[in-house]
Amino acid sequence: MSKEIADVQLQVRFVTKQEQYAVPDSPYAIQSNVQSSELNTLINALLKENNPSQKSVEFDFLVCGELLCTSLSELLQEKGASTEDTLDIEYIERFPAPSPQDCLMHDDWVSAVQANKNWILTGSYDNSIHIWSTKGQHKLAIPGHTSPVKAVSWVSFNGDQGVFVSGSHDQSAMLWVWNVKNNSVECVVTCRNHDKGVECIAVSADSLRFATGSWDTNICLWSTSLLEEENVPAKKKSKPEQGKTRNPLTTLKGHREAVSAVQWLDFNTVISSGWDHLLKLWDCELGGIKQEIAANKALFDVDWSPLSNSIITASADRYIRLYDPRSTESIVKTTFTSHNGWVQSVRWSKTRDTLFLSAGYDGQVKLWETRSPRTPLYDLSGHEDKVLCCDWSNPSLLVSGSCDNTLRIFKAKHAVGDV
Amino acid sequence: MPPFRIGLLKRKIESGDEKFSTNEGSTKEESHALEDSDNLFRGDLDDANDATDSEPEINDDNDSDSNNSVDKVIFGDDADSTLGEDEDGEDSDQSSELTDSEADDEDDSEDNENESESEKSVDSGAESGPSQAQSSDEVDKQLPKLRKKTTNASKKQSKVKKQNFKNSVDILAEKIKDSSVSSTTACLPVEQRDEYESGDTSDEEDRRNTTGEVPRWWYDEYPHVGYDLDGRRIMKPPQRDQIDEFLKRCEDPDFWRTVKDPSTGQDVKLSKDDLELIRRLREGHVPDPAHDEYQPWVEWFSREVLATPLRAFPDHKRSFLPSRSDARRVAALVHALRMGWAKTRKQLADERRQKREKEFYNLWGSESEPPRGIHRHIPAPRRPLPSHAESYNPPPEYLLDKREMKEWEKLSATPWLRKYSFLPTRHDSLRAVAAHARYTRERFLRCLDLYLAPRAIAMRESINFVHLEVELEIHIFDKTSQLTIRPEELVPKLPSPRDLQPFPTREALQFRGHAAAVRCLHVHPSGQYLATGSDDRTVKGRERRRPAREPQFSPDRPTDVCLVCAVWEVSTGRCLHTVEAGEAVARVCWSPAAGLALLAAAAGARLLLLAPGDRVGSRRAAETTDRLLDEPPPPHDVAMDERTRSCVQWERVGAERRARGLRLALAHFKDIVHVAWHSRGDYVCVTLRDAASRSVVVHQLSRRRSQLPFRRSKGLVQCALFHPTKPWLFVATQRAVRIYDLARQELVRKLQPGAQWNSALAAHPGGDHLLVASYDSKCMWFDLELSARPYQTLRVHGRAVRAAAFHPRYPLFATGGDDRYIVVSHGMVYNDLLQNPLLVPLKQLPGGEPRDSLVTLDLQFHPTQPWLFAACADSTIRLYS
Repeated sequence: MSKEIADVQLQVRFVTKQEQYAVPDSPYAIQSNVQSSELNTLINALLKENNPSQKSVEFDFLVCGELLCTSLSELLQEKGASTEDTLDIEYIERFPAPSPQDCLMHDDWVSAVQANKNWILTGSYDNSIHIWSTKGQHKLAIPGHTSPVKAVSWVSFNGDQGVFVSGSHDQSAMLWVWNVKNNSVECVVTCRNHDKGVECIAVSADSLRFATGSWDTNICLWSTSLLEEENVPAKKKSKPEQGKTRNPLTTLKGHREAVSAVQWLDFNTVISSGWDHLLKLWDCELGGIKQEIAANKALFDVDWSPLSNSIITASADRYIRLYDPRSTESIVKTTFTSHNGWVQSVRWSKTRDTLFLSAGYDGQVKLWETRSPRTPLYDLSGHEDKVLCCDWSNPSLLVSGSCDNTLRIFKAKHAVGDV
Repeated sequence: MPPFRIGLLKRKIESGDEKFSTNEGSTKEESHALEDSDNLFRGDLDDANDATDSEPEINDDNDSDSNNSVDKVIFGDDADSTLGEDEDGEDSDQSSELTDSEADDEDDSEDNENESESEKSVDSGAESGPSQAQSSDEVDKQLPKLRKKTTNASKKQSKVKKQNFKNSVDILAEKIKDSSVSSTTACLPVEQRDEYESGDTSDEEDRRNTTGEVPRWWYDEYPHVGYDLDGRRIMKPPQRDQIDEFLKRCEDPDFWRTVKDPSTGQDVKLSKDDLELIRRLREGHVPDPAHDEYQPWVEWFSREVLATPLRAFPDHKRSFLPSRSDARRVAALVHALRMGWAKTRKQLADERRQKREKEFYNLWGSESEPPRGIHRHIPAPRRPLPSHAESYNPPPEYLLDKREMKEWEKLSATPWLRKYSFLPTRHDSLRAVAAHARYTRERFLRCLDLYLAPRAIAMRESINFVHLEVELEIHIFDKTSQLTIRPEELVPKLPSPRDLQPFPTREALQFRGHAAAVRCLHVHPSGQYLATGSDDRTVKGRERRRPAREPQFSPDRPTDVCLVCAVWEVSTGRCLHTVEAGEAVARVCWSPAAGLALLAAAAGARLLLLAPGDRVGSRRAAETTDRLLDEPPPPHDVAMDERTRSCVQWERVGAERRARGLRLALAHFKDIVHVAWHSRGDYVCVTLRDAASRSVVVHQLSRRRSQLPFRRSKGLVQCALFHPTKPWLFVATQRAVRIYDLARQELVRKLQPGAQWNSALAAHPGGDHLLVASYDSKCMWFDLELSARPYQTLRVHGRAVRAAAFHPRYPLFATGGDDRYIVVSHGMVYNDLLQNPLLVPLKQLPGGEPRDSLVTLDLQFHPTQPWLFAACADSTIRLYS
């Protein structure tokens, strides 16, 4: 059957949404067993015809809504598409391969990481928080927690003052202020309400609030204001070494098991994933559950992209699943299969709606395109042990922390015609 | 008149006539003299009969006297017929067949006579002098007419003058008497008469032909159709050809009622009575037209008592009783009906028809009918059919070419290595094939094979029955009563594992850090932490270095660390806390009490109660635990009896050890093999090794005292567990499992697993089911409400089973031991008491590497997720998800 199709001549028409790479809208006859590299040559030749000064560009090809990774015939056979009709092939500029930039050594397992424009914040199992520059320079090691740090997040950064929060197994979250100039850090507020270790932290888009999820199955919402609040009970203030303590704005109770990840959807909505196999969307003002999505495995991580308005989850198996938060049914839209162990962390790209990053216990960090569920775009290998966290907050940096005590940074070159 | 009587009469008369004729010579003048009418009558008939007897041989053979006598015989025949009619007098219709046929014969003879008349007229004329003298001159020219007339006349005369004939017979009889008395020449006729009288009458009914019941076609090739009474041939009448037939048909008005008598080959004209008889037979009436079917019924036997009864004796008793033979016959029929072997008429008819049908030998049939009388006959194995190469004219590709021929020659020393056992040769015809030289020897060897190698019916499938202790109904026998059970029929219908998800399917994580075999593990009830104990005695007491930028617990360098009892984070496999227990840790167990962070670890003979502190679990829980354990109980509660005190010592914990997390230590007098918490977390049950009656010790934490529940030893105690809900204690000894009610202080029941040596015990979270693992590679599932015997014995392991575990939430259980695989099974328990548990083996998970023939030492499920933890002998802990 495949042989049959291999010999077939196909009528194809090339379309693109990137205007600078447009080619004439005329059908071409090609052999059906072409690979994406051959199509690439063809498109580049067509572009050269129009504009001789055009540099050669790498393209990816979308056939029937799926990225072309194997030969065209195999994909068509898999999709059951007809070889008689004229086929529309959309081509997009290929996301360039990220290049390994740096490897930052830590004392212990790197359990949390977040990057902003210039700085990388990491949390480690040796109870400390580290600040690195994007160039790989170690700025600061911050002891403060008494147990492994499980989550870190930047709150705001303006000029020479950075604010970040960290959550730890010692059941507290800390709000820190970092003075870049002096390279000094101060714990402004200690947030103690959780009964068990804090597992995840998410800061809202307007940087006014952050949410923490914990092993005690609760989600707490906290204010990020650096000012001391009035309504703190007197007995809670009596811990001078930890700075001021703060009570949560809201406690969202509903999970039956540990909360493994929280994310803000908008200023009022939080999505959380738990070990009880549930994704929950919370209304922060009312403190209630807006929607539930049931998975069938314990969830380890969840991320939501405002660009594509879809949710990806990492769970206690080898698969990454994509959900649509607008659908009321718990239907998996796509399952991404390539990891060989538990997937521990998933992060959407901030700039491209179809790209995301995943980190798994098989020591692999993978860059995915949502339209190619079988094959990731790139495998970012280098870690020698379980990868615990990854981050793509800075669009040009793909960072991941692992059990081999390293933080690896990959540089993403921006595509030429990036949208 | 019945035919045989006719025959009899005929004989008598014939004999009389013969006598008469034989005596004719001597008594000629007398007879002539006696009566003219008689003479006339006889003479006429003589003529006719003479003409009928057209065979010249007879005349040649016999002298004139005998010739005459023959004529007389035939005459006698006619006379007899007429005589018969006359004698009976009742009717000529009833017995008309014979007489008529004879009359027809006479007609025929007339016909024949017409033909042969011309030849014999002279002789006959010469012989029948007196008749001619009587019939005078007309005779000479119109012979046929004359014949007819004379025969008619004779008939009339015979009918009319019966009395005369009788008289003549009487006279004849008298004469015979006289002659027999007087003369010696009369001896022969006398003998003849005797012969006729004594002879049986059956063959006399067919007067003409004595061949008897033989097929007529036997005489097809002969000129005669049989023999008459005297052994002479009865010649066939001349055959008529088609034209004659046709002419006869056209000319003879009686042709339609003329039939051929097969015994004589003569044509017989059916009389009116014959036709009437045939008609009646055809219509199914009684052949006798005189028979009245509807004649009035005479009731001879009625209830009326007759003055002179017809039968003088009373009815027999039998006639009043039901017949026994009839009853027996009816019973046999009823039995046949009941058993279903009664056959309908149709079936019987079918059978008969089938029997009648010809059976053909199935030349190409493969199965031959087994010989009767041989029980369980095994046919000889068939020889393979001859191949193309064995043909007398094989296709050319089967003939050996030069190269193959060379090879053939080369292998002459070792002929068994050759491709064929014969040389394929081409012959022009089958005729040209020479005799096979080795034929006799090969046949002999074949017979020897069949004789010396006994054949036996083998079980078609080799089934390991031991592995399937399921209720089976084996009653499937085929025709040869050979047990044919397909393996899939034996396997009970179980749901597919695919439908029973979730269950652990593959290894997800390895927890590395221990330096020796991991003996035990226990997952914190919250599911966040895992405690393990191991044998790491080799590195005991070594100082752990803590460089500034080196990890505290490097999983890559397990020799650096000294882990005896460790607490791990489940989600990442990170070792969070270690306690140096001082001795090999046989058992670790988290306290199930909510809000407490307390770990019971059995190190050697000590039971250590450890508080991992706020690094593990909640700070609040740690505080609660500390508070609880710090408070010394009131002294009156602590009181223990002497026996218990000799067994257990509650030790004080120094500040240094306290800082390392130790809260309480209980020193026992023997090593601890098993520790189990009560579900409320106040009691902990400890099993000691080789401690006889003091093997089981129950400690109460709140009151800091111990109890020895048993006074007497019931065997080697392997482990003791608390019932999940009831105040019961399961105690597994080497052979049995006993269940004690602690509140009522009595034995509830004793379970007999049937294994040689129990190793582990696991209680279903519902409390009604128990899983017992044994060192002889079996696992027994007990339904406590069902019986003291195992509900099912699972033989899923090849070697000793050391660990068994139930999942607290999912219907899963796992067993592991010394073989490479951990088996996860589905164990669904229903609330419905009528429904038995459903046990389905689901998955074999590869365990760790074997060390000292140990593989898996402990198993436990995650409290909330379908994950399985296995403590492996290769110093790893494996998490399967």
